[in-house]
Amino acid sequence: MKEIRSDRFVFHERLNAAFLEELFEGDTVYAETVFEDFLRDLPAYWEKVQASYQSKNMSLLGTNIHTCKTLFGYVGFTDLQELCQEFEIKCALNTAEALQMDFDILSGKKQDAQKIIENEYSRLKRFNEG
Amino acid sequence: MKTSCIIVEDIQIAADFLKKFCEKSDLVDVKGHFLNVEDALEFLDQHKPDLIFLDVEMPGANGFQLLDSLTYSPKIILTTSKTDYAFDAFQYHVDDYLKKPFTYKRFLEALQKIQDQPAPPPPPAASPAPPSASSDMDFLFIKADDKLVRLKKDDILFMESMRDYVKFVTPGKTYITYSTLKSMEEKLAGPSFLKVHRSYIININKIDDIRGNTIYVQGTPIPVGKGHKEELAARLNIL
Repeated sequence: MKEIRSDRFVFHERLNAAFLEELFEGDTVYAETVFEDFLRDLPAYWEKVQASYQSKNMSLLGTNIHTCKTLFGYVGFTDLQELCQEFEIKCALNTAEALQMDFDILSGKKQDAQKIIENEYSRLKRFNEG
Repeated sequence: MKTSCIIVEDIQIAADFLKKFCEKSDLVDVKGHFLNVEDALEFLDQHKPDLIFLDVEMPGANGFQLLDSLTYSPKIILTTSKTDYAFDAFQYHVDDYLKKPFTYKRFLEALQKIQDQPAPPPPPAASPAPPSASSDMDFLFIKADDKLVRLKKDDILFMESMRDYVKFVTPGKTYITYSTLKSMEEKLAGPSFLKVHRSYIININKIDDIRGNTIYVQGTPIPVGKGHKEELAARLNIL
C-alpha cells in the first residue's frame, strides 16, 4: 500500500467530507480509484435509468435508481443518496408522468454531481502524483 | 484460521470495497465474488464457505431468495443500502446488517460479531417463524404513506408482491408497503391466508369463485401457481 501523505486532501464542500475521511481513512490513492470507478460506472447505470423511465417501467426504474444511489454514497454524495431513496420509494407508488418533475430534478443533480466528481478525480490524481 | 467467504454483490465498487476490507483484516479469505444469486448458488452447490456477504437487491433473484435456497447454515452478513430490510433480516436470522457504504471500522465490528457467536443459526427454511406480535391479533400495522396504518386482517382481500414492496388490497383502498411477500406470509400465518402464487397471498374467506387456475376475489382475477394447487384444494371446503 502506498504511504499516506501527511498533508491532507480536502474534499469538495458538496461532498460529505467527514464520511469520506472515515471511509478512505486518508488513503487518497484508493479514493482516486473509487472516483474513477464511479465515473466509469455511473453513465452506464444512468442510461438504464433513462431507458426504464422512458419505457415507464417503474419497477425497473426503482431498481436502477437504487444502484445509482449506492454509487453516490461511495463518493460522498450522501444527500443525493437520500434523494434517490425517496425517488425509489415514489417509483413504487407513481406513474412516470407523475414523477416527471422529480425525475428532472434528480437528473439535473446527477449531472452536477458527475461534474463535481470529474473535478475531484482530477484533483485527487494531481494530489497523488504531487 | 481465516474465515472463508463469498461476496454476492452486483455493484463493482461495493464488491471492491469489501474485498479490500477482507484483505486488510487478514481474517477473511474471499473465495469468490458473484454478481447475482444464480451464479452464487451454483458455486454454493459445490462449496460451503463459512460466511456470505450478501447484497439484497440485485438483478434477478434477491438476497433473501438465496437464503431460501441454502442447504447449510453459513454466517450471513447482509450488505444493502436500504435500512428497511431490518425486519426481514431478523426473520432470516442474519448475523449482521451493513448499510452501504460502510466503513472499515463497521466492517470489523460485523466480523467480530460473527466470531463471537459459537454455533451457526438454523437454516431459514427449517426454522420456525419467530413469534410475531401481530400473529394472534386480528389486525396488523403496515408502514404506508409515511405512517403506520392499522389494517384489520379480515379486511384484506389479497396481497400482491411488487418486487421489494407488497400491495395490500382491501375493499376500499390499496396500500403499498416496503416488505416481502415471504415476510407477510409468516406474519399472517393462520387459517385465513394462503399463498396461491409466488406473487399472491389471498384471504380465502374473500374468494368469490374459482375458474380453472384463476381465483376471483371481488372481481379481481388471481392466478394459482402450479405448486400451490394442492394446498389450495386442501384448504377449501369443497362439498
